[in-house]
Amino acid sequence: MTVTRRAFLSGSLGAAALLGLGACSSPNSNAGTGQTSAGQTSAGQGSTGSGSTKSVGKPSGTLTFAFWGGSAGETAGFTYAKKQFEAANPGTTINLKVVPYDGFFSGIDRGIQAGNAPDIFRVDYTTIGKYSKNGVLLDVSPYFTNAEIDQFLPALWDAIKHQGVPYGVPHQTDTTCVVYSKKAFEAAGITSVPTSLDSAWTWDEFSAVAQKLQSTLPHNKFPFAYDWTQAGAFRWLSWLYQAGGTLLTPDLSKCALPSSAGTKALEYTQSFFAKKWVPANNTIKTSTYSDNFFLSQTVPMTFVGDFLVPELADPANGYKGGDWGATFMPRDVAAASDLGGNAIVALKNTKNPDLAAAFLKFLVSEDIMKYFCEQAVELPTLKTLVNEQLNYAFRPDVVKVCAQQATTISDTIVKECTIAGFADINTALEDQLELAFHGQSAPATLDAIATKVNQALGS
Amino acid sequence: MPQGTSYKPRRQGAYTHGQTAAASLFLLPNLVLVGLFLLVPLVLAFVISTQKLGSLGSPQYIGIDNFITLFRDTIFWETVWNTAVFTIFTVPVGMVIGLGVALLLNSVLPGRTLYRSIIFLPLVISGVATGVLGSWMFDQYNGFFNKFLHAIGITGPAWQSDGKWAMISLILVTLWQRVGFDMLIYLAGLQGISPDLLEAAKIDGSSAWQRLRHVTVPLLGPSTFFLLIMNIIYSFQVFDTVWALTRGGPDFSTTTVVTYAYREAFDDHGPQQLGYGAAVGVFIYLITLAITVIQWRFSRTRDEAG
Repeated sequence: MTVTRRAFLSGSLGAAALLGLGACSSPNSNAGTGQTSAGQTSAGQGSTGSGSTKSVGKPSGTLTFAFWGGSAGETAGFTYAKKQFEAANPGTTINLKVVPYDGFFSGIDRGIQAGNAPDIFRVDYTTIGKYSKNGVLLDVSPYFTNAEIDQFLPALWDAIKHQGVPYGVPHQTDTTCVVYSKKAFEAAGITSVPTSLDSAWTWDEFSAVAQKLQSTLPHNKFPFAYDWTQAGAFRWLSWLYQAGGTLLTPDLSKCALPSSAGTKALEYTQSFFAKKWVPANNTIKTSTYSDNFFLSQTVPMTFVGDFLVPELADPANGYKGGDWGATFMPRDVAAASDLGGNAIVALKNTKNPDLAAAFLKFLVSEDIMKYFCEQAVELPTLKTLVNEQLNYAFRPDVVKVCAQQATTISDTIVKECTIAGFADINTALEDQLELAFHGQSAPATLDAIATKVNQALGS
Repeated sequence: MPQGTSYKPRRQGAYTHGQTAAASLFLLPNLVLVGLFLLVPLVLAFVISTQKLGSLGSPQYIGIDNFITLFRDTIFWETVWNTAVFTIFTVPVGMVIGLGVALLLNSVLPGRTLYRSIIFLPLVISGVATGVLGSWMFDQYNGFFNKFLHAIGITGPAWQSDGKWAMISLILVTLWQRVGFDMLIYLAGLQGISPDLLEAAKIDGSSAWQRLRHVTVPLLGPSTFFLLIMNIIYSFQVFDTVWALTRGGPDFSTTTVVTYAYREAFDDHGPQQLGYGAAVGVFIYLITLAITVIQWRFSRTRDEAG
């Protein structure tokens, strides 16, 4: 099936919001697609548009590209890119190094310290700041013309920048949407679900849906689950943004909590546990993710990233509770969702920066990005692809919802999620939200988050 | 010494020299390995614990600041408490069960080799696999235990969302894994006890309990000493099972000292403070050393254990 995202991106949040989507990837997050047209700007040929500052000539040599294969589709996408690149550029070899996600960045860091890190690696938007701040990444600005930069969704291009300098390429994005069992909704008398962002449930409407579902479920089943487990803790921020709040002050120098929006968001999410709308173990520090709850039919509705669509749609091991659909995140003062996805970066001290840059450009060329996104069921970062129909391998109707939802990722979300110390902030969110969901008061939680965030920011 | 036979010392110097050279040669690989993989990292851990060191960037010497922060860190002391609770409930209980099973399987029992293998099997499974298995078994909504309890009309506990029950699940999984080791060591110890002693005690009119209490258990002293040391070290350093089973949650209720060190230093999405993590590591080292020294000093059976 094909999906047109043009309509979704025409709103005020449009491209910038989509860009934001890519920034907050987590262990559960997939990288997006991002291929540049090999014909349009063939890999290794240097920039062709106005503003080009460096022509790299014909690339040659061997480089290593390390990534984690979040799914078979992702691995297939990267393997395809490697083969196409080597075919288009005789004399080049890209050694693919598939590494498990757990410990991936520790391995990269040790490699950087020891001088044997891979030349090119994948990094999620919430982690890229650590590398760019430490000055270990290749500045790609000489390799991209302004015209080429303009092809990317602005927010996602911003996500790979540090102090105005681009380090790497935004490869794909993803974000959270709501999936639900049609049978359970029918049983609860929920006859319609929002089909557009404008008609997304308000918090009150969402609460009503949860109550209706609860009334039809046995005591050991719950209305929904949320995807804030472990390193996904930052996805709680979506509620904060929906309530009209922000995590940081506009200059990103201090924590903006506590705030009335913060209290509202926290008390609302705490109520999920008090009212038993979510399973008691759907907290932060657990080994059960939101998709697990849905797959085991402990919940008939769950919040998941689009990269999990292949898992849910898998005929053999996917969802067995009948037909399922997708809808949008609830909204309050504003609509908001989390920034997921990944960039591809090269090391500053790679032995062959021209080849590295050529491969990065190739990965975000149109055809290669399109193939990757279709296989991995993720969202592209090129405007041309956002506006194009992609043949997603699984449930394009669900991806369509996520693509629309992606437009609710504001510049603020992108900026806050891509700052250099975000790992520390996420750790503070993990610890404090976990405590809050087990009874710690909202004011105490927000104060503790603020203290930790300010420590992380050095303010 | 026979008359007229003068004692001619062997060419002891040359022989010893050759022996020494050969011994050194044989020792060298082990010394290199021990030095490289034990002593150097140990010294480096102490060095790094005095530094502010992120996963990238250069180290900055900060003296004992990491230790001062550590001693003021309330979460750290919570993890010390958790580790102590975990150790208290896994080590003695595991050893008692291990001894019981060993006594049972030391007797003439049909299929005892099979039973021994079954009980020992969990030990050869990796800690991560055990933890993942545990997380499925103790899933509070869809796990085996609660489904089983539900089937017999009992509402199962909140293994994952209640801190106390989460710790109990961790202890149970650990016991399942470790009892085989206790059993094995005790079995070896039991087979070293002369049946004559037990028979003599029996002839003297002692009961089975008295024979166990006053003959078998004291003679198992070396095994007990060895197990105590090994199990305490294991329990203090537990990581993989916890990480896979509970991730240290809910809250910090199953966060042990090592999982805390890992999260502070190595978690990809954590603070990645290697210096602080090393300070926690040094703390674990010193505590383990202290426990070992105390036990070595006061154990009446230490010489036999060597």
